[in-house]
Amino acid sequence: MATALDIGLDYHGELSRAMALLAANKDALFLGQGVGNPGTTMSSTFADVPTARKIEFPVAEDLQMGTCIGLALKGFLPVCIFPRWNFLICAANQIVNHLDRLPLYSDGGYKPKVIIRTAVPSSAPFDPGPQHDDDFTDAFRLMLRTVYVETLPDAHSVVPAYRAALERPTSSLLVEFTDAYRNARAKS
Amino acid sequence: MLEGSDTYDMLGSGPILTKEDLIAFERDIVAHFEMGDIKAPVHLAGGNEDALIEIFGHIRPQDWVLCSWRSHYHCLLKGVPAAELKAAILRGRSIALCFPDQRIVSSAIVGGIAPMAVGIATAIKINGDNERVWCFLGDMTARTGIAHEAKQYADGHGLPITWVVEDNGMSVCTDTSESWGMEYRGQMKEVRYHLKEVRYHHKLAWPHVGTGKWVAF
Repeated sequence: MATALDIGLDYHGELSRAMALLAANKDALFLGQGVGNPGTTMSSTFADVPTARKIEFPVAEDLQMGTCIGLALKGFLPVCIFPRWNFLICAANQIVNHLDRLPLYSDGGYKPKVIIRTAVPSSAPFDPGPQHDDDFTDAFRLMLRTVYVETLPDAHSVVPAYRAALERPTSSLLVEFTDAYRNARAKS
Repeated sequence: MLEGSDTYDMLGSGPILTKEDLIAFERDIVAHFEMGDIKAPVHLAGGNEDALIEIFGHIRPQDWVLCSWRSHYHCLLKGVPAAELKAAILRGRSIALCFPDQRIVSSAIVGGIAPMAVGIATAIKINGDNERVWCFLGDMTARTGIAHEAKQYADGHGLPITWVVEDNGMSVCTDTSESWGMEYRGQMKEVRYHLKEVRYHHKLAWPHVGTGKWVAF
């Protein structure tokens, strides 16, 4: 029987498969920039997500994150897309003070579940610069009490991580590495 | 009757509470706070009883109420039993009260509820639910960037939200208009309804936080 290694998984293909897996959940909605339109490193991974499930959002990260929390309070499963950590940090208020803390200060009354997707960009040979190249994974692990943070270091980790995020009762923040798929994106 | 929306003519059916009921509840909380029974911040309401009673006359049980750190009155008027509310306040939850049964979501962070209101209202629109979101913002919060973004998105997408601006002219101890370099427009006693936004003015009967008396634990 072939193993995952034998199959030769590629990171970009696995991200696309993970997005399709999430989209199979009838409550899933995908929000962000470059979700319904091309424009970011991640855009082509939404090719198999039905158009009706994709909400192309304004560049308003804190509003986007809070909107996802509100959707989750009404029973949807928002997948909140921030193509880089440096963009996600603009939503830190909603992620830390609300998504993470609402289950605590409501004494478990509200447990909004959101799946957040972000990425650490490649830094060489193409260098996006000091406002675009950060990895805040460790910092957010320190700040978050209820949101589960997981990195996706290779192609084999992608689908299992998203499957686990679907099954986990709490919110998740999944961190991918564009170094692993930027060339594959160019071919897609 | 409120103007500007086809849902405004549907009156709420919350509990009938009087101004005196609200004031008596808050005075009971004051007594507990000053006795040291509440080992957490409390934000007391006062001076806005008439306006809130009028506004909550339009809020229905299925509607969502999103409010700030000063929400004791809002919870009572939405139907949270006084004993349940008091227990939550005694547990230290005054500044961010949440009651799923009554569809109340609060936050102690300025503007924190505005985008959540957008999300709930987006879900209502997608589902076609007969619900509305009432989002209560202070006069400083209403001027923040996140409030502008939320209102702009809600207006653009025709979301079922009524924004209620609770204008006491102050942000903690800072004069809101003065801090923005603007002239205050003066107090108005009546509730003003403008399309999807409601504004009422009042003078807060209590300090921003606590009762004005230092409590040593």
